[in-house]
Amino acid sequence: MSKKNKPANSAPKPPVQEQQTKLPELPEDDFDMLDFDDDPLSATGVSRKSLVIFFLIDTSGSMKGTKMGELNTVMEELIPEIRRVGEADTEVKIAVLTFSTGVKWMYAEPIAIEEFEWQRLTASGVTSMGEAFKELSMRMSRNSFLNSPSLSFAPVIFLMTDGYPSDDYKEGLEALSSNSWYKFGLKAALGIGNEANDDMLAEFTGSKDTVVHAYSGNQLAQMIKIVAVTASQIGSKSMTLADQNEQELSDEDVYASKQKMLGQQIQELVSKNESDDVSFDSGW
Amino acid sequence: MFNGFCHSVMGASHEKRGIVCQDASAFKVGEGFAVAVVADGHGSKKHFRSNIGSKCAAEAAVETIETFFADPDAFDASFKEDHKWLIRKLEKYVIYLWNEKTMAHLKENPVTIDEKHLFEHKDFIEIPESSYYGTTLVVAVAARGYTFGFQIGDGSLVAVFEDGETSQIIDYEESNPANITASMCNAMAIAMFDSFYVKDKRLLCFCISTDGLYTSFGSDYDFLDYHTIIAGQLPNIEAFLPSLKNNLVKRSHYGTEDDISLSCIYDPELVVSANETVKAKILDNKRKAAERKAKLLNK
Repeated sequence: MSKKNKPANSAPKPPVQEQQTKLPELPEDDFDMLDFDDDPLSATGVSRKSLVIFFLIDTSGSMKGTKMGELNTVMEELIPEIRRVGEADTEVKIAVLTFSTGVKWMYAEPIAIEEFEWQRLTASGVTSMGEAFKELSMRMSRNSFLNSPSLSFAPVIFLMTDGYPSDDYKEGLEALSSNSWYKFGLKAALGIGNEANDDMLAEFTGSKDTVVHAYSGNQLAQMIKIVAVTASQIGSKSMTLADQNEQELSDEDVYASKQKMLGQQIQELVSKNESDDVSFDSGW
Repeated sequence: MFNGFCHSVMGASHEKRGIVCQDASAFKVGEGFAVAVVADGHGSKKHFRSNIGSKCAAEAAVETIETFFADPDAFDASFKEDHKWLIRKLEKYVIYLWNEKTMAHLKENPVTIDEKHLFEHKDFIEIPESSYYGTTLVVAVAARGYTFGFQIGDGSLVAVFEDGETSQIIDYEESNPANITASMCNAMAIAMFDSFYVKDKRLLCFCISTDGLYTSFGSDYDFLDYHTIIAGQLPNIEAFLPSLKNNLVKRSHYGTEDDISLSCIYDPELVVSANETVKAKILDNKRKAAERKAKLLNK
C-alpha cells in the first residue's frame, strides 16, 4: 500500500445514505389492510417464532393392543387441539420419535402442525429408551432439526412409556443432559399402566410434578391432552425477561419459571380430572 | 460500475416498547469501489445508546473505505499483494473511527440522569463507556475484479452471481466467534472480526442484512431464494424498491418483530444482461422448494 493511501487523521465525511421506515401506524387488526398482493418477494414465506414439540413414544411389544390403539386415537384427536393452542405469532412444529428395538422418526424433520398427519403406530420389540435419548440429543441441534433461521422457543419434550428401559437409559440421559435445548426445554412424561416407573420418568423431566400416570384408556386420553396442550401453551408463551425490580432475567430463570409453571398446572388439571375408572391393567 | 440502495425498517416489537430503531444502513459508490454497510445496535439495557452506536459504525465503515480508496489503483495493487493484511488494516481503522465518533458523541452528550436512573450506581460505574454504544457491523465492498468484506457480530452477506447462484459468504452459525457476542464495543474487537475475499467471479449483486431479515425465514433455502428474487428485480429498481420496503415491513411485523436493514450493491449492466438467466433460476428454485416439501411430507 502506498503512503498516499494511508488514512489521514481527518478523513472527509462522506454523505451516508440512510433511510428508515417506521411501521405504518395502524391498529393491530387493520394491518392486513396493507396491500402485499403485488409483492414479488412473497414467494418466500415469513416465518414466525417456532415451537417444536417432541413426542418420544414407547412402541415396544408391551404397548401392543389397547394401549397402542388408544394412543393412536388420542394423538389423532390431539393434533387439531394443538393447532388451536399455538399463539397466533407462534409456528408450532411436531416431531415424533418412536423407540422399541431401535428408534424411528415419524417424519424426516419437524413438520408444521398445519401439515402434520398422524401415522398410526404399531408395537413390537424391546424398549430402547437410552438409544432414543441419544438420538434426540443428536437431533436437537442447530445443525439438525432445529436449523430454522427463525427464532425458537425452547422445545417441549413429552415422553410416553409403559415399562422399564431394556437398555442403559442412564447413559442416554447423560448425553441428553448436556444438550442445551434439553436443559431449557419443557419436559413432561406419562407412565402408562402399572409397570411404568415414575421415579425414572422424574429423572427425565427433572421433577415429579411433570410426571403423570394413566391406568385406563380414559385416563390415557386425558393425560396426553392435559400434558401436551398445557406444555404447548406454556412453551409458546413469551415471558417477560425482567423481574419486578426491572432486573434482566437470565434464560435459565425464564425456563425454570416455565418448567415450574408446567408442573403446577399439570398437577392442578390432573387433580380436577381424577376419574373413578377401573384400574388400568385389568382393562388393558 | 456499481450502484446500490439501502433501507432500514423499525421492528414491530421496538415500536410497541417505545424503543427507537437500533439498526443503521448505508451504501456508497465511489471511484473503483462500492460499499454496502449494515449495523445492528444491541439494544439491551447497558447498551442504552446503541442506536447512535450503529449509526457511528455505518459512518465509520463508509469513511474508512472511501479514505483507503482515495487512490484506487494503489489500493488494488496493495490488495493483490496482501489482502489479509489490508483487510485487517481496514478493520482496525473502522474501530478507531467508531471509537472517535462515539466518544465525541459522549463528550457532547454526557450521560443523562434518566439514563443513569436505570442502574444502581455500583452497576453503572462498571459499564465501560464504549458499551453504551455497542453494535454489530457488516461491510461488503465490490472493487474492480474482486469483492471483499468483514463482519463483527451477527448479520448476513449474500452474493448473487451471474448464473443466479447465491452464496452466503460468511455462514450464519452460532459457533462462529464473529456471530456470538462480538461487538464493536469489545476491547478485543479486532480479534472478533471475520472476513472474506472473492476473486474472479462476476457478481450481479451483494446484499448484506441485519439478523432481523435472516430470522424471518423458515429455512436457509428460502433466505437464499429471496436474494435471487431481489436480483431478478434489479433491472427495474425504481418500481421494485417500494415493494421491497413493504416486504421488509411485513417481515418485521409477521416475523420476529426485530429491526431489519438491507443494503445492496449491484452491477446495473450485468443485472440486465443476466436477467433471463436469473428468472429461470427463480423458477427452478420454486420447483425445488415444492419438491423438498413433497419429499418431507412423503407425498
